[in-house]
Amino acid sequence: MFYRQSGVRHNSYSSDRDLFPIPADRYALWFFLALGIAAPWLIDGLYLNSYMLPWLLWTAAALGLNLLTGWAGQMHLGYAAVMAVGAYSTVHAVRFGIPWEFALLIGGLSSSVIGSLFAVAALRVKGLYLAITTLAMQFVMDWVLNHSPAISGGSHASLQSPTFALLGQDITSDAGLYYVALGWCVLVTIFLLNMRRTGLGRALVAVREKDFAAAILGVNSFYYKIIAFATSSFIAGVTGAILVATFYFLASPEQFSVNVSIQVLAMVIVGGLASIIGSYFGAALILLMPGIVNGLFAGFADMVGLQFGPETLAHIPNAAYGALIVIFLMVEPMGLGKIYGNIRDYLLVWPFDQMKK
Amino acid sequence: MDWVFLAELTVNGAITGLSYSLFAIGLVLIYKSSSVPNLAQGGLTMLGAYVVLAFSYELGWPLWVAIPLAAVIMFFVGLGIERVALRRLAGRPIVMILMMTLGIDIFLRGTTLAIWGGAPRPMGLGVSYDPFFVGPLLLSRIHIVGALVAIALFVAFMLFFRSRQGIRLRAISDDYMASWSVGISVERGVGLSWALASVVAVATGVIWGEIQGVDQTLSLLLLKGLTVAVLGGLDSIVGAIVAGILLGIVENVGSGYLDQMVGGGSRDLVVAAVLILTVMLRPHGLFGRHDIERI
Amino acid sequence: MSSEETNSILSLNSIEVLYDSVLLAIKGVSLEVPNGGMVALLGSNGAGKSTTLKAISGLLKSERGRVSRGEIRFDGKIIGDVPPQDRVHMGICHVIEGRRVFEHLTPDENLEAAAPVSMSRQKINDEKARIYEYFPRLAERKASQSGYLSGGEQQMLAIGRALMTQPRLLMLDEPSLGLAPFLVAEIFGILQKINREQGVSILLVEQNALAALEIVSHGYLIENGRVVMHDTAEALKANSDIQEFYLGGGEGKNFHDIKHYRRRKRWLS
Repeated sequence: MFYRQSGVRHNSYSSDRDLFPIPADRYALWFFLALGIAAPWLIDGLYLNSYMLPWLLWTAAALGLNLLTGWAGQMHLGYAAVMAVGAYSTVHAVRFGIPWEFALLIGGLSSSVIGSLFAVAALRVKGLYLAITTLAMQFVMDWVLNHSPAISGGSHASLQSPTFALLGQDITSDAGLYYVALGWCVLVTIFLLNMRRTGLGRALVAVREKDFAAAILGVNSFYYKIIAFATSSFIAGVTGAILVATFYFLASPEQFSVNVSIQVLAMVIVGGLASIIGSYFGAALILLMPGIVNGLFAGFADMVGLQFGPETLAHIPNAAYGALIVIFLMVEPMGLGKIYGNIRDYLLVWPFDQMKK
Repeated sequence: MDWVFLAELTVNGAITGLSYSLFAIGLVLIYKSSSVPNLAQGGLTMLGAYVVLAFSYELGWPLWVAIPLAAVIMFFVGLGIERVALRRLAGRPIVMILMMTLGIDIFLRGTTLAIWGGAPRPMGLGVSYDPFFVGPLLLSRIHIVGALVAIALFVAFMLFFRSRQGIRLRAISDDYMASWSVGISVERGVGLSWALASVVAVATGVIWGEIQGVDQTLSLLLLKGLTVAVLGGLDSIVGAIVAGILLGIVENVGSGYLDQMVGGGSRDLVVAAVLILTVMLRPHGLFGRHDIERI
Repeated sequence: MSSEETNSILSLNSIEVLYDSVLLAIKGVSLEVPNGGMVALLGSNGAGKSTTLKAISGLLKSERGRVSRGEIRFDGKIIGDVPPQDRVHMGICHVIEGRRVFEHLTPDENLEAAAPVSMSRQKINDEKARIYEYFPRLAERKASQSGYLSGGEQQMLAIGRALMTQPRLLMLDEPSLGLAPFLVAEIFGILQKINREQGVSILLVEQNALAALEIVSHGYLIENGRVVMHDTAEALKANSDIQEFYLGGGEGKNFHDIKHYRRRKRWLS
């Protein structure tokens, strides 16, 4: 009823190119942003920092990978390795005495550089072979992290992150850390929203659809693939650094293992390729799912009076996580973003939807 | 230079490599008939080993009953995976197919561990651990058994792909549409390849379960198996065998010397390096087919 | 009409095809192929010829299309729900457009792949020998990789592969595509021979109307997803519209004439 395209009349080109032409979309956006800003007063600190904060950061990571996989169509199974590069260089830079603002930049840029190495692979091969190569690079990175104490921080292979600070101000409170995550996630979102309607975004889509054809149209697919990898790796690096600085407080190799790469890809796929809102949904689902499944399963076990060993309970969320990916790909391969889009399309015509038939 | 050391590394590497080939054959079977890279083969291998144990260890049946029985069960598991999960994805982008096989892998691993637990168990094949000398070289008996099984499977599948059903599978991998047009049941063919790969997974699981114990590390064979398959050229059974031997040698010799420098654990690094180099230099591997493009 | 129906191996009764549940690709096509006859389906690009063939062979399924109305009868039986591979077993074989041979198989293996599962070894060898008789060029190259055969040889292989399925109705989608005229003549000659010697009915889809009308007995003209004309080959060849639009006849057109023809063509459909 209130969600209408009718009545929206564009009087200028800039209004025609609005990100959200439908007023209801804009109101919803401001509402959720306000909700996000008000969250520290609405939500308990524990939940804020163990659910909201990682959700926002993983969303940022998923958006970065979505830029590469969803828009530019390049497979990446080593995304966590790129995040690790950013995280470790940032932490080392800070420990060296560089302020966090610059250290984050250094982390992002070093991720870009390493990430562009992955792009070199993308210039030679695509699809499956690119996936395999990036997977192998992930293993190389794991190995390097695990076997070089200078990087990973000594015998326990863990590196303490110094206290996070911006503009000379130490940030230690729950709310402060949360705002850092929120700010970064919003920044990445705005970047991606705008990228879609620039020449860069369109060129990336052209490269995804058919890189030879794009080349014939004058799109330098070589250049755009590198750009895509570098940009997405920058996002990965900064996200990885913020994740360590505000959530883990300790960098260790298994935080960036191959399973994490798969997890981020799962967020992108479950959320929907090339869907921004989908990445928010996907990250939420993949992060929250183990807890929910555990709760449900324990409840179910209580109900029917069955006793399960701790091993079983420990591995059920994993099985459910795999099943979730499989079921999503079977039922709605385009992910939650597509489901959201379908609901939106339905609401656009509700209650006159019979007109369509 | 210690020549005996080098020779021992080489021969043992080659034999170990053939056990990797075992895993790679499973990958190749599916890729050859449907061009789907099966990243779930690790999970299948693990499940195969646990199903064998379920019969032999928990029910106390002899292995010569348990293994064929597990093979039959896994045959239907493979058929089921294709029928339920993969068939709907035909024609979708490769990223989704890869994610599907990864999802299946995670699911299989989680389910297996949820049912049977993660503590390592012995396979109990009864292959002696006594030292086995050929001249001055010390070899491992179980690896030799693995190599023999790999070669037996290799011969079996070479014959299979020359048979009429095998030719049909190869036709399917070339062109789905054309296969339908001449009455080949594409779905059944692809299902068969999954079923066969799952049977191969049982063989892999039994051999590697004997080598390193049955636990979740069995699924980590994926990296090595994948490297062998890619090096051999994803759709070549011969390639899987040759590349297995090659990778085994390179890995064993390379890490044999590298370990002394970096203090151990360089095996995965060597394997990953081989994988990257292969894709960069020769993506179609040693024996893989090139796609023929006529304009 | 009824006597004709019993005598026809294939009959389409005003079928419609929907792609993706929205796109109506053909809208009411009816045609008959007499038992042992040769019929051509003519039309320009995008007229719906290939879609018609795919509706008959069941290959629409793989392109998310379906027959939404009308019925297809093969040998008097309605085959709407029969899966594609079973239609092949019934005797319908579709040589798809663009000579898609199994590129990584040899011609010999291409033929074996197409042999029905129940066919005996002996029979397969007999059939292969028979096909190599029709296409001696294939016999020469039977052990080389099919992807490297020339265009004409690939087309011959595609036809030979279809013959392996023991068809009673052979449907060919633009076998002349991209081939030199002498090759087209050779292939069409062989088709005629197959039709005569084996009694295989043939439904030929062609843009090359001139060549097609030489060998068939009847022709259907399809445009914008509808059959707009149906007659014997002789009558079609003599028809002035056909001559103008499809046979490249008509000398010395001027602008006024072209406008005139356009109008007539629209009236046709």
